[in-house]
Amino acid sequence: MIDQALKTLTLLLQGKLPGKIEKAKVENQNERELAKLLNQLVLFMEEIHRFVIPLAQGELSDIKFSPNNFLASPFKELHSRLRHLTWQAKQVANGDFCQRIDFMGEFSEAFNLMVTALQRNERVLREKIDQLEQALGHIKRLEGILPICSQCKRIRIEKADPDDQKNWLIIERYLSTKTDAQFTHSICPECKQKLYPEYIDPKPDED
Amino acid sequence: MFKEERKHCKFVWQDLGDIETGRPNLGLKVPVLAYRLMQYTMRDALITELGVKRANALFIKAGRLAGSLFCENLLNCQADFNEFVAQLQRVLKEQAIGILRMEMVDLQNLRFTLTIAEDLDCSGLPCSDEVVCQYDEGFIAGILEAYTGKPFSAQEIDCWASGDRVCRFDVRAVHAGS
Repeated sequence: MIDQALKTLTLLLQGKLPGKIEKAKVENQNERELAKLLNQLVLFMEEIHRFVIPLAQGELSDIKFSPNNFLASPFKELHSRLRHLTWQAKQVANGDFCQRIDFMGEFSEAFNLMVTALQRNERVLREKIDQLEQALGHIKRLEGILPICSQCKRIRIEKADPDDQKNWLIIERYLSTKTDAQFTHSICPECKQKLYPEYIDPKPDED
Repeated sequence: MFKEERKHCKFVWQDLGDIETGRPNLGLKVPVLAYRLMQYTMRDALITELGVKRANALFIKAGRLAGSLFCENLLNCQADFNEFVAQLQRVLKEQAIGILRMEMVDLQNLRFTLTIAEDLDCSGLPCSDEVVCQYDEGFIAGILEAYTGKPFSAQEIDCWASGDRVCRFDVRAVHAGS
């Protein structure tokens, strides 16, 4: 029995999975108990092997352990954390920036910073898009061919009756309704010359 | 409140009293040992009087009521599900009840897998093949019932300890006839 026990333990320590010890062939009570414990150890290690190798390859589906396989605890913990992280990553991918990872050391810090940065970047992008959409709206409000009176320069309201004088707006009013521009009235030199020549100072060389 | 014979629960959140005024020196928090001393001795006494099955059922019922009131009074039930999970995780941490981690969410079928680490009820207990978190099962179900308005069941399906004990729960809506 001791030989079998040594062989079993040696194989386990070499990372191999030994076969079960046949308890029925063991006569001594203590040795039967030893065989039972060794068989349990082999079973637990088998379960861990079956679990960890696919886990290392990214397989996160559930694998059942014997309820009392406490050797598997760290691997279950790892599996659980990976499932949690997978869920978190999917949430972020779907635009959910509410979630945070707690108590996972440097990883928590890095992940939470990443989510916060993504959230901030998305907000900035949305603001930019809103600004651009608003600007685009303004542009659209002024595009197209405007019907303008060739004499008084009034502009006709789109699709309004051209024979109704009230549908013709002075240019200041028209632009004020279409844009955020405001007007302050002044006079250009040419009009000043034409309309108010008495207010024009003579040029110095004319003295 | 504790003198009237009745068949329906009567506890409301206000029955907790004004703790800040009532404990100006000792404050809002108590050690985990005080909480567990009360819960475990209560459970022990109930088992001796009513048996394990009945005692467990009562713990689930009490947990369900607590979870429901916890949700109604400390959480925003109007939040969408993602926000709700985030705030639940945050409030459980702030109240030092446990560390919630979602593993799987199936909103279509209202089914979730989650873990609670450093749990107020069971962290530090040795792992065994015995399920001990009946109060938690009720508590989690009660929270989701209050949030969704639908009946839920929660079952501890696994636990492990690599440092602190972690419990994994399968939580699902209870449909008529299921």
